[in-house]
Amino acid sequence: MPDYIIYILNFSLGIHLLLIAICVHRVWKGENGLDRLLGVDLLGTLILAVLVIIAIRDQQPLYIDVAMGLAAVGFTSSILLAKYMADQQLR
Amino acid sequence: MLQTVLHIAVVLAILAGTVFSIVGVLGLIRLPDVYTRLHATGKVSVFGLLFLLIAAMLLGHAPVGKAILLIVFLVIAGPTLSHAVGAAAYQLGIPLKLVERNDLSEALPAGDDPVSNRKKSPKSDRESKGAQEKRTVT
Repeated sequence: MPDYIIYILNFSLGIHLLLIAICVHRVWKGENGLDRLLGVDLLGTLILAVLVIIAIRDQQPLYIDVAMGLAAVGFTSSILLAKYMADQQLR
Repeated sequence: MLQTVLHIAVVLAILAGTVFSIVGVLGLIRLPDVYTRLHATGKVSVFGLLFLLIAAMLLGHAPVGKAILLIVFLVIAGPTLSHAVGAAAYQLGIPLKLVERNDLSEALPAGDDPVSNRKKSPKSDRESKGAQEKRTVT
């Protein structure tokens, strides 16, 4: 793997970490519950992206398995939380 | 030669994924309400990760079967989650900003629309709280 791909991967990793920080701030300052739920879901997706980037950079396929588990758990929890908030009228 | 073309394709895929992530977070910050933010965050979970996984597959650092499984899961899960969150937001009566015409409230029977009920009468808030108490008692 040539050097410029490693460079691009490190650049992309930095950008994603910055986006995660912005997203955490957004969840903190959220207007209502569903807004924060959206922010947390986006946070999970960005962490997934970080895992895939690390898998490419360190040439470790194990990180893809971790990403699959994280995707399944994040999806289930977000769906259940949205349904629960709609049922109990929590805003 | 072929190796170089492959590496350029990988770089383009990584950059495309990063750009989609940036656009999604920018939309989460800048857009005014839950419904429009849903539109922006859906892009990250489908396209941003899809391009990164394509890059991993092209380089051969990810098992192709697992990467394709993850892509299929994301493509199914993203729209499902968006639909669930949008339906929950409408059910809770979170108001729509930037709306010119609300087709859903015209299609629903009169007095059955959560958004316009909440906007017109603050009484509905108390009623829903009473209904919630009743539900927790039973």
